[in-house]
Amino acid sequence: MDNAVDVSEKITKQYIVVKIGSEQYGLDIRYIDNIVRMMTITRVPKAQPYFKGIINLRGEVVPVMSIRLKMQLKDDEFTDASRIIILKIEEQGTIGIIVDEVKEVVELSADEIERPAQNSKNAKNSFISGIGKHNDELVSLFDINAVVDEPESV
Amino acid sequence: MDVSQYLEIFSDETGEHLQNLSDCIMVLEKEPDNKDTINEIFRAAHSLKGMAGTMGFKRMQHLTHDMENVFQEVRGDKISVNSKMIDLLFECLDALDKYLENVKETSDEGTEDNEAIINELNDFIAQASGEAAAAAAPAPAPAAEPAKVEAPAADSANESGEKEKKFLKVELNDAEKRGIKAAEEAGNKVYGFTVYIHPDCLLKAARAFLVFKAVEDFGEIIIYRPSSQDIEDEKFELDFTFFLSSPEELDKITPATMAVSEIDAVLAEEVKSSDFEKKEEAPAATEAAAPAAPAKKAAPEPAKKPASAASSTGKKQTASKPVTSRTVRVDIEKLDALMNQVSELIIAKNSLVSISTTEGGNFENQTFHEQIEYLERITTSLHESVMKVRMVPIESVVNKFPRMIRDLSRKLDKSMELYMSGEDTELDRTVVDQIGDPLQHLLRNSADHGLESAEVRRQRGKPEKGSIYLNAFQEGNNVIIEVRDDGNGIDTEAVKEKAVERGVITPDQAESMSQKEIINLLFMPSFSMAKKITDISGRGVGLDVVRSNIEALGGDVEVNSKLGEGSKFTVRLPLTLAIIQALMVEIRDEKYAIALGSIQTIEDISVNEIRYVEAKEVIHIRGIVIPIIRLDKILDIEPLEEEPENLTVVIVKKGDSQAGLVVDNLMGQQEIVIKSLGKFIKANKIISGATILGDGEMALILDVNTLF
Repeated sequence: MDNAVDVSEKITKQYIVVKIGSEQYGLDIRYIDNIVRMMTITRVPKAQPYFKGIINLRGEVVPVMSIRLKMQLKDDEFTDASRIIILKIEEQGTIGIIVDEVKEVVELSADEIERPAQNSKNAKNSFISGIGKHNDELVSLFDINAVVDEPESV
Repeated sequence: MDVSQYLEIFSDETGEHLQNLSDCIMVLEKEPDNKDTINEIFRAAHSLKGMAGTMGFKRMQHLTHDMENVFQEVRGDKISVNSKMIDLLFECLDALDKYLENVKETSDEGTEDNEAIINELNDFIAQASGEAAAAAAPAPAPAAEPAKVEAPAADSANESGEKEKKFLKVELNDAEKRGIKAAEEAGNKVYGFTVYIHPDCLLKAARAFLVFKAVEDFGEIIIYRPSSQDIEDEKFELDFTFFLSSPEELDKITPATMAVSEIDAVLAEEVKSSDFEKKEEAPAATEAAAPAAPAKKAAPEPAKKPASAASSTGKKQTASKPVTSRTVRVDIEKLDALMNQVSELIIAKNSLVSISTTEGGNFENQTFHEQIEYLERITTSLHESVMKVRMVPIESVVNKFPRMIRDLSRKLDKSMELYMSGEDTELDRTVVDQIGDPLQHLLRNSADHGLESAEVRRQRGKPEKGSIYLNAFQEGNNVIIEVRDDGNGIDTEAVKEKAVERGVITPDQAESMSQKEIINLLFMPSFSMAKKITDISGRGVGLDVVRSNIEALGGDVEVNSKLGEGSKFTVRLPLTLAIIQALMVEIRDEKYAIALGSIQTIEDISVNEIRYVEAKEVIHIRGIVIPIIRLDKILDIEPLEEEPENLTVVIVKKGDSQAGLVVDNLMGQQEIVIKSLGKFIKANKIISGATILGDGEMALILDVNTLF
């Protein structure tokens, strides 16, 4: 109980923890509109290579991006656990990103989040806004805007 | 009374009146003696003044008032119309337009007094009246007429017998009498007011409100006749009465009330509570009858006046007033929402249709099929209705063009005339809103660069006055807008030279280019930016912008030109943006939609018929050589291991050019709802959107225009 009171007094943010490969990532819940099961993705020719295509989300056309390809990881393998997370980003609209698995919702306060290491040259690092610590596990927190933005030079 | 809720109506209606004025002044310039037009102008100016006054836009009101004075003189044959006056009037309109812009942006008219224009207007009247006075000595100074309306109360009271001090006859109840007494005891004076409103006044309640507002600066209104509620609801004839308790002298108050426009007379006098007590003694019956009688008498009189005025000004009265009672202004966003819902309904309907056909075994029930057909009919007609609601005539955009051409004609010192047709052609609202700029650009282009100077025209045996035509009409699923001039046309040789000089094309290329390709150079962005080229070729200023604007609307633009004879820009726009008829095709397992409007024919050809021209595949059909486009290659689809012997080729056209698209399969024609791919996917331009099919599957929409 003590712990709960403690947390509520601090400013906390909720994150959805997903798995991509062996790593855990956190997505700020404010941006999340929906989580859907894998569905038929219609390929869009000539689009950016990391766009898998578009899906029909209850009558809305939503582009779906492979975050694996964007982070230059191995291409997705769709399983029963694969999900498309629908993000709603102001102005730019709705976009779906594919994750291997959705695990849980966690609440992190500011002192549980560390800045990411600055010196790393790894490309995927630029998508991370911080590292969250939760139950002795590390969760890389996505910087949503960096994830959906176009890389400057491709 | 808060006027902010009327702001929107005000700006809409003011816009309409200004447009009307502009149109009429244009007519007046050509037919200075057209009485109908002058009357029309007068009415529009008058309404403008009234509306501005009601909304408390004093500067606007002032300017229109002075304009109205000029029209008054014209109407009274005291001034004849000349071009200087027309110029001045247009300046006024521009100034009013600026006020309106200000009002739209800030809910305030701004602080520009436009004194220069007002002075000029007044000079104009003074000059004219001076002339009139010199010519016909006994003629009274015409400027006096508007002044007369606002003459001091006492005078007009004497002049018109029917206006009387009704406040002297008002019956007061005990509470009201006590109110007067209390005010007197507090050291204030109590004044009775009877205000007569001009019979033509449209917003009597608003006038009354302004009068009240004016006098409340001086004191407190203690009694209303009729009641303040009735006055607000406009439940009164042309006059109303009130009692004001004020420490000020009457001399100060009356002018303030007279400053409100459309007030014919204000009769006021100090009253004493004792006056009313005396009255009590008089027989009640006569007292009661007295105020009622004149009111009745007054009523039919003014009612007749506007009626006779209307009939005397002729038939145009009905035309000038838009039928507002039967229309509703709807926010475009609401229509968009409605449209989206209809789209979803169509998708739902399509999926029902597809279930009923694919799983026929489970749905042998005949009523089910009947109901599906019924649903289909309803959704189609619902869709049509919603589309129609969104359609507006292009008039609202093109009607500012005659004025623009007139101004350009002055500025460029070229004589020219704009002929328009098909202003009533309707287009989707979103298209209409955005088509103004490109059209304006094309017209300017024609006026500035297309038409030759009068001298050159004479030499070429053309009439000195250049003609520019703007024609709009519907053609199938498209609306065509043509901008044509009888000017110089495009000098393709000069364009070619410049293009070579600038390194846009090589001399070799230049040799082999067709006229059309050369003209297309003008639409290249880099081309239009170079001022030098435009000076010589006479074309190309921002034509790339015109093209990209029009293409953004799903349309295209084409040029035809003959050197020395003129040029024609043809703008083709889709009737609607949201739902189109399309041919569904299959390439391997992917489905694509091609707008029916751009399809010419569908051919089955044998592989042997393919010929090669410059290493490109072409087919020769009915005397035309058509290039073949392998869609699977363009769309990065896995190639077939073995090429079939027969190919299905969809022949599409863009303007005069054609191309054959190779597809695997035809799936038939369907009504599709166009959905955007969103901002994230930066697909090639070839994909213009997506659509959701009946079974929930999606198909991409091919924009065949990009293939040429």
